[in-house]
Amino acid sequence: MIKWLGWFSLAGFSGLGIWIFGYTPIESSQGFSQKIMYLHVPVIMMAYLASFLVVLGSVGYLWKREMMFDRLAKSSAELAMLFFAMALVSGSIWGKPTWGTYWTWDARLTTTLLAFLIYVGYVTLRSFAHPGEKQARLAAVIGIIAFLDIPLIHVSVQWWRTLHQPTTLLKTVGGEAKPAADPVLLYPLFASFLLMAVFFAYLLLLRLRVEAGEEELAEQLARQ
Amino acid sequence: MFSKKPNGAMSKKIQYMIAAGAVLAIIGGVLYQGLQTTVYYQTPGEVIAAPENFRNKTIRIGALVQPDSVTWNPDAVRLSFRVTEDSQASIPVVYDGVKPDMFKEGQGVVVEGRLGADGVFVAQEVLVKHSEEYRVEEAKKGQRDKTYQSLMK
Repeated sequence: MIKWLGWFSLAGFSGLGIWIFGYTPIESSQGFSQKIMYLHVPVIMMAYLASFLVVLGSVGYLWKREMMFDRLAKSSAELAMLFFAMALVSGSIWGKPTWGTYWTWDARLTTTLLAFLIYVGYVTLRSFAHPGEKQARLAAVIGIIAFLDIPLIHVSVQWWRTLHQPTTLLKTVGGEAKPAADPVLLYPLFASFLLMAVFFAYLLLLRLRVEAGEEELAEQLARQ
Repeated sequence: MFSKKPNGAMSKKIQYMIAAGAVLAIIGGVLYQGLQTTVYYQTPGEVIAAPENFRNKTIRIGALVQPDSVTWNPDAVRLSFRVTEDSQASIPVVYDGVKPDMFKEGQGVVVEGRLGADGVFVAQEVLVKHSEEYRVEEAKKGQRDKTYQSLMK
């Protein structure tokens, strides 16, 4: 079943590529480079989702003390690290042709880099501690605190002066939702959201299975 | 979640939580203040109002490129223009470098450099600050222009 999610996202992204490069019109002000949006935005959404799942797993573990929740937190944190890295790299590649630079220390970019470093720290710390109840408990606390940066990333473009533009999708005019993009440019983005979510589910389920297998193996080795 | 613990342990836990909360509040406050005071860019109005505050240090100015103010000298590779926020007061900018792709009159820019004694801002970097709007030209909406056509044009 997990395998099919992988095949589905592979086929889906191939189709999406044809849609984006063959049938989606060129955006007026940025031209060709706007197409990076179809990777960059869904990737950062999945990074947020992964961070949220870390909290879910962490709270669940502290509450129920079941390793299942810890496995969710651990696997999601690795995915958060991966997707934040992808968001930073794709953003960098997009920044060069549009802004004229790969990197600048504005609030949006800095808080995003901070999130990436937090999850690198989380994963590194876990690798230092002995597996078991204590590691899971400490990781759960860090996993919850780590999430504080996520809303900060989102509001950074409203609270502070940044080079990064404010939100397009969640733009409101006079309290009314008004996405600031032509629908013809948005449809492939929504498709990309769906496909990225399937791809995310594929990676997460795969990672959870590996983690469960590793635990089982460790138990069997301990018994011998 | 504390129900199985004796009362003493519970109050200890609450103490820890209060301490952790206080630390987090401080970190959050410092981060907020830090990001607030180290402003990413100044506006032309702020610089014009108190230029002495911005001399002899590298600053950024975020503004719009004033229409009809751009001169591009390809031989000297020198770009000069004025930046403004309200089309009233403006600051002259010179930049020895290549014009960024999206640079045009009326475009949002962030220029990084130093304010000279003569009031001219010498930019080391010119960044384009584009809007959150993504549009397709009316004429192109109906036709499905292929990417390779845009690259070949």
